[in-house]
Amino acid sequence: MQLVVNTLVLAATYALIACGYVLVYRVSRVLNLAHGELMMLGGYLLLTTASLFAGRPLLAVAVALLLSLGLGLLVYVVLMRHFTGESVLAAVLVTIALGILLRGLAILLWTAQLQYPLVALGWQNPALSLGGGAVISAAGLLTLAAVAVVYGGLLLFLRYTPWGIRMRAAGENPLLAAQRGVALPQVLALAWGLATLSGGLAGMLLACDSGIDGTAVIVGLKAFPVALVGGLDSLSGALVGALLVAAAEVLAIAYLDPLVSDVVPFFVLLAMLLLRPWGLFGRREAFERV
Amino acid sequence: MQHRTWHRLGLTLAAVAVLFAVAQAQEPYRVGLSAALTGRGAETYAPVSEAIRLYVARLNARGGIHGHPVELLVEDNVAEPSRAAAHAKKFVSQDGVLLMLNASLSSTYPPMIHEAKRAGVPLFFAGSVCPREVYPPADPLLFCSTAFAARYDSEFALDFIKETAAGPVKLALVSMSIPISRGEVDYAEQLAPSRGIEPVSNQSIPPPTPNYAPFAAKIKAAGATWVYAWAPWVTQVKTFEALRQLGWQGKFLAYAHINAEEELARLQDEHFYVFGANAFFSHNLPVHQEILQAAAQGTMHPPTQLAEGWVAGMVLEAVLAGVSWPPTPAKVLAAMNRVRVDTRGLRGGPLEWTPTNHFRTTHYYRVYRWDRRQQGAVLAKDWTAVAIK
Repeated sequence: MQLVVNTLVLAATYALIACGYVLVYRVSRVLNLAHGELMMLGGYLLLTTASLFAGRPLLAVAVALLLSLGLGLLVYVVLMRHFTGESVLAAVLVTIALGILLRGLAILLWTAQLQYPLVALGWQNPALSLGGGAVISAAGLLTLAAVAVVYGGLLLFLRYTPWGIRMRAAGENPLLAAQRGVALPQVLALAWGLATLSGGLAGMLLACDSGIDGTAVIVGLKAFPVALVGGLDSLSGALVGALLVAAAEVLAIAYLDPLVSDVVPFFVLLAMLLLRPWGLFGRREAFERV
Repeated sequence: MQHRTWHRLGLTLAAVAVLFAVAQAQEPYRVGLSAALTGRGAETYAPVSEAIRLYVARLNARGGIHGHPVELLVEDNVAEPSRAAAHAKKFVSQDGVLLMLNASLSSTYPPMIHEAKRAGVPLFFAGSVCPREVYPPADPLLFCSTAFAARYDSEFALDFIKETAAGPVKLALVSMSIPISRGEVDYAEQLAPSRGIEPVSNQSIPPPTPNYAPFAAKIKAAGATWVYAWAPWVTQVKTFEALRQLGWQGKFLAYAHINAEEELARLQDEHFYVFGANAFFSHNLPVHQEILQAAAQGTMHPPTQLAEGWVAGMVLEAVLAGVSWPPTPAKVLAAMNRVRVDTRGLRGGPLEWTPTNHFRTTHYYRVYRWDRRQQGAVLAKDWTAVAIK
């Protein structure tokens, strides 16, 4: 039972992060390699707002979420907008540079120390019993809930709202969408904003569960195979990919060597690239277009 | 006329002599520090570097050494060997340093050691893990003041666990999956049976891990009553917290890295022990006050994390004080081979290097834990001396 809980919590963390990779890729075909850093900034933003709004934790969380959304919009407006219509490779290289810049900024602003937003928020992270000897941390449970809300919300948003439909159209055929009146810059900005928001939320939950430091970036990188396994343009794929990778990782820790767990996501990715390069739920056409 | 010429010449010579004397006095003792200010391990090494910087600034404000300031050249190697190599080359060939310092991951050692040997410039590991070459019989050019000491740490830790445990001990061991940490924990696993301790689990945890629960679950399932961790702080504390989340009730012994004092206060768990070689600030020694005053001048790091670097600063001062002007790397090396530093309570005793022992002749350990009644860190075991032979 504990094995299942551990798998679900890890999968939820990966799914939340992978969601950002998928959103940006789906709309702009850009692999955002700065997503790990943007996720980490979510944790640091919470740390800052928790100190700024001491005694008002809900306000601190809300402001941190808004700042994450704003950060994504800012990244698009200031940086990525200039690469619309340019080679995808150039845009990807820019995201690598952005990642390096954000890592440096994070150390300058928050140092490399392991820090705990939960302490600043004045909250606890108690263990909750699930029966059968299994327990889950409150932050773990929140992560599961966040996945349900984020993915449920996004699926509804993309299917039923005008902005969601525009976003899908822009991802499907940007030229045609633009000709039909879809304002591409706004749609792309929204995609970057939502992607950073979901990544930031993952960073905040991770920081609440076990603190935040500069190495959180690598957790973001570990979620990249999840997005690829699921199919880079499929949100449902990201969910399934997260479950698959997390299960492989947890089982490796439990029954093989803990060291193997570190490379398991990449083993799964390699296997997927050999068998089905466009991922479990990805579309072959989208893959070939890139 | 002739008298006036002589007068002018005299004045000119006097002015030149004064200028020369001033220039001589301004000539610094130059040392180069290559540290992981960013990148992996920066949480440990950046505060060490900062403490050395603060110490040197304070030293210079008091007039320096023999009337000469100490110039500390600090470079960020991002814990990358290639950068450390470039820094070592620059220090030696361009800056003409008397001594190089390293505060970074062990992967940065080989290029710096190579350069130190090529140029005959001593290399001082300040805050980074001591390489094997500093233990007796020591490499002539390598020295170390860092608190943690591979092998000795595990020997002390296992003795402490055996002494503290009331009955039989089932021990789980925790490392980070980096060579230095794994090697030490594997050594402890081999050593445990000789202390009557049964090792039941050995977890080497990759850095970083988003969820420590799977590792903790394995330790709990193995029936461990004690856990011994010798790893970077993040691995130690997150494993402990994950174990407590799972309802594990055992005792945990971790190495007291520079942030241990604040972390005991955060965790407030009476069965979480930390052992190390630096005295906590809760003792409020005069030297702690000095560190706090220096930190008040402006630093991003918590003052409680500066003790390790402060000890390195004390050693640096003692070494340079033993070097007459004009200094050379050879003179510095000679001074290092006979240095004895009064750590003024920051450590359990003096730090002494000899020509064959560049670690220290005696190493001292203390163990702390949290006490709920006193609402503070208390001693679980006072200074214990270990002779280094």
